[in-house]
Amino acid sequence: MLSSESLAKIDLEIGNYPAEHKEAAVMAALRIVQEEQGWLSGETIRDIATYLEIPPIRAYEVATFYSMYELEETGRHRIEVCTNISCMLRGSDGVVSHIEERLGIKVGETTADGRYTLREVECLGACVGAPMMQVGNGYYEKLTTESIDAILDGLE
Amino acid sequence: MNKIKHLLQTFLLLELVKGLALTGRYFFKPKFTIQYPEERTPMSPRFRGLHAQRRYSNGEERCIACKLCEAACPALAITIDVTEREDGSRRTERYDIDLFKCIYCGFCEEACPVDAIVLTEVCEYHFEERGTNVITKTELLALGEKHKTRIDLNQKADAPYR
Amino acid sequence: MAQIELNGQQLEVQDNQMLIQVADAAGVYIPRFCYHEKLSVSANCRMCLVEVEGAPKPLPACATPVTDGMKVKTRSAIARDAQQGTMEFLLINHPLDCPICDQGGECPLQDQAVSYGKDNSRYHEEKRAVSSPDIGPLVATAMTRCIHCTRCVRFGEELAGIMEMGAAGRGDHTSIGTYLGETIESELSGNMIDLCPVGALTSKPSRFSARSWELLSHNSIAPHDCLGSNLKVQTLRNKVIRVLSSENERINECWLSDRDRFSFEAISGNDRLMTPMVREQGRWRSVDWHGALEFAVEGLRRVIAKQGAESIGALISASSTLEEAYLCQKLIRGLGSHNVDHRLQQQDFRDDQLDQPPPGLGRSIASLESVKAALLVGSNIRKEQPLLGLRLRKAVLGGAEVASISALDYAFNFSLRFNQMDAPSAMPKKLAEVAAAVAKAKGVAVPEPVEQLLDSNGISGEADEIAEMLLKGGQDGAVILGFGALSHPRAATLKMLAHWISELTGASFGLLDRGNSAGATLAGSLPLHQQSESNPAGLNAKEMVREKLAGYLLFGVEPELDSLEQSAAQEAMVKADFVISINPYSSAGREYADVILPSAAFTETSGTHLNCEHQLQSFEGAVEPPGDARPGWKILRVMANMLDIDGFDFISSEEVLEEVKAGDRGTTGAQLPDWELIAGDKPRVIQDQRLESVNEISPYRLDSTLRRAESLQITRDNQLSKVSMSSPEMERLGIEENRAVVISGIGGRVSLPIISDQRVPAGCIHIPLATEEGQVLGGSSFVTLEID
Repeated sequence: MLSSESLAKIDLEIGNYPAEHKEAAVMAALRIVQEEQGWLSGETIRDIATYLEIPPIRAYEVATFYSMYELEETGRHRIEVCTNISCMLRGSDGVVSHIEERLGIKVGETTADGRYTLREVECLGACVGAPMMQVGNGYYEKLTTESIDAILDGLE
Repeated sequence: MNKIKHLLQTFLLLELVKGLALTGRYFFKPKFTIQYPEERTPMSPRFRGLHAQRRYSNGEERCIACKLCEAACPALAITIDVTEREDGSRRTERYDIDLFKCIYCGFCEEACPVDAIVLTEVCEYHFEERGTNVITKTELLALGEKHKTRIDLNQKADAPYR
Repeated sequence: MAQIELNGQQLEVQDNQMLIQVADAAGVYIPRFCYHEKLSVSANCRMCLVEVEGAPKPLPACATPVTDGMKVKTRSAIARDAQQGTMEFLLINHPLDCPICDQGGECPLQDQAVSYGKDNSRYHEEKRAVSSPDIGPLVATAMTRCIHCTRCVRFGEELAGIMEMGAAGRGDHTSIGTYLGETIESELSGNMIDLCPVGALTSKPSRFSARSWELLSHNSIAPHDCLGSNLKVQTLRNKVIRVLSSENERINECWLSDRDRFSFEAISGNDRLMTPMVREQGRWRSVDWHGALEFAVEGLRRVIAKQGAESIGALISASSTLEEAYLCQKLIRGLGSHNVDHRLQQQDFRDDQLDQPPPGLGRSIASLESVKAALLVGSNIRKEQPLLGLRLRKAVLGGAEVASISALDYAFNFSLRFNQMDAPSAMPKKLAEVAAAVAKAKGVAVPEPVEQLLDSNGISGEADEIAEMLLKGGQDGAVILGFGALSHPRAATLKMLAHWISELTGASFGLLDRGNSAGATLAGSLPLHQQSESNPAGLNAKEMVREKLAGYLLFGVEPELDSLEQSAAQEAMVKADFVISINPYSSAGREYADVILPSAAFTETSGTHLNCEHQLQSFEGAVEPPGDARPGWKILRVMANMLDIDGFDFISSEEVLEEVKAGDRGTTGAQLPDWELIAGDKPRVIQDQRLESVNEISPYRLDSTLRRAESLQITRDNQLSKVSMSSPEMERLGIEENRAVVISGIGGRVSLPIISDQRVPAGCIHIPLATEEGQVLGGSSFVTLEID
């Protein structure tokens, strides 16, 4: 079930579009619910679709098209290390292996306690601060072993 | 002069000696007569004899019931019924070849995408009862089992030319 | 008009057409996968790339409108290169499993790979594999073969009206499927099989049974709804392997409902009767035809000698051919009885003596697409006549407004402007309100019986609006009655009101009955056919099962399932002295018949179907009937000969048809509406103690053939045929989901589980007909629940 806060936010988004095009708010609705629940389960997507009066498969198409919608449960903190060319030249491989070692997981995995999920991503547009990573919504640039440790220590 | 030559040839039986020499030459050469059925001539790996169905080395039948052999058969000798086996794979329920209709052209073997139906080297067989001229899937698979070594060798020998 | 040059050929073409349409019309084939003339253009397969002079790149012909002076080359080096490139990409991930693929041999991808592709592949890397979900009993999937043309997705979205398939993911991770692998429930899902240009969606009932090249195709007509969809029945060695649609723009376009597509399963199934059977001392014995017919004739004569001809009645299936229905009624009338009927699920026959044309749409099928307003009365057009539903949906998308007065909240695939869903007993009132509103607007006096149907509140605001909608629609309006109206206890009232509304507004009056009802009506399989002094009216179907006749002739029916009052019918059959059952199935009539004669099913006999546009469509048998089974018309003819009835010298079904055409239906002179007939109708009285029953029949249990089509029986649509109530009502009465409750109805008491169903109005209970469950309850207007 969608919470009343989420529904209120979705209603606000729906208001941005003509009344007969409620479905235009599907991306925003998916984002709002993901922010609240952490990920989008099949049931959640169905609820969103029902609310927007579209077939569930229509919402599912959108959710699967974009990589930033989470369709499986992830750790509380999603650590996404850029391994695109600029970061790679500046040593992103080291960043990845350091985090892997520290958390004891491989890229694409979640720690057993459900705290962290480690992923590789393509360019996040912060090449000026390469190597960089994104944790949740925050960018962390010019990473070194020490700074990574400090960042990870700072996460609850 | 010619007359003398002819006379000599006639009286000295030269032609006869020539002829006997040829016979004699072959008489002492190794024989090429084959004592069939104790002895056999060599056969091409492409010989088209009795049909057989093959299996994979893990025992699974090769035939996938695609019906291409049935379609290729110019004599309409093959009849296939298809069914879905319990595991969901496509298999024949019936695979009959009428050996009276078959003209041993080998098109079925050519058409087969999985080398399931083959024509073996077996060329001597007979039927004693009406109806036994139609060989069934079980019989074909048994034939494939029986002549496995020869079939595999022939397939291997012919493989580079396919 | 635009002047274009296509491969050097000068063409004068209409504006706003796409290149591919122009090329098709000119007979120039452009390869395509995603383009389909009945679907929207998506231009995603890129197979139809052609060279257009002046364009920097090859353009997709399906999405390029023609412009004046355009020069197009479809087979130039550039076009050919583009097509070959596209084909190479498509084949990269397409498996090479053509030998085991059911599409092999009729596959556009296979054909076009040969015609427009390269001769070998340069791809040596691994291919993609996609899991194939089970999406129901009708459509088999092999999604690895999918080339993402999205035809199935667009069909669901644009035509079927429920988007069930979708394209999840993107790039080479795109996969077509249903939402989380759910099963599809569209009543038109079989069309996706036809649309799929590869072997990704294939027919499950026909799976792995034959290859396309060995099938023989026969034209036929579908018997299960009043459209008479054109079919291609494809057979192998005298067995029906599959049924496809045959294009006919006037009737079914290129579509086919699942019901017509998959009902062949029963015909090719195991439950066929191979020899005539007679019952002697309670034991079934198979006999030859002569013996069986002698037995039947003797039995009939015995009954007539003992109790008179009037004690014999014939019940005829509405799925029979026109010829069969005609001969059956002729035989019964030849015996001296007039008890013959095919309307087994009708309960109100008050208007029988009026002159009425055979049931029909009242307008051409194609013109339903262009109606502006429609009033549905008890019609679940989407499930009852799926392809008419498709037409009406098109009309709605084009701006038409639809109102529905029904006793179940049907899930339509188009939006309703007005949804007047209420208990069945409220339907006459609702319709009377609309009629009165129309009359008021037209300044016509409202007849007394109509006035009486209205309650003290008079005409509701919504009824006024519906009237306004219909009046605005005028000639482009349609009033359509469906099963919910025909099986209604006050069917005559509904019919008369609807007819009056259509007369006043100028709308067409449609009465959509099942199968070949129109044909059976034309053939005279009604108790009142050619009524005169010497030809009195016989008993109708309801009276026949209620009055427990001594002898029955059952043609293609199983009265214990096909009748509305199932229990009464069952009892009548068991009690009868002599029952002849003519039907194709071995299990039909075993309980009560004395002789069962195996008849041919619809693909095995020649015959004629009269559709809702009143078109006579004749068809030939596609296969020989199995065993000793014979076409129904031949059985009836020989039986009549043996009974010494005159006028049965037909040597072909065409001769029978000629006689029907030449025949006179006779008139009674009375016309619709005759208000006198419904004068006794009162507004509804709410009964607190009892629940009102809403009768419905699953689209897949309409006749004995459908009930034996295994795949259709396990579809989601058919699962709805359970006793059900709305969940608020269940809560009110304290009934738990799926818990058995003792229900008493017309046929006695029965303990049945009740499921919740949002479609059922308050105070009502939904009784599925033609089921074991409906056996005791079918035909009850009210039932009582015993809750402890």
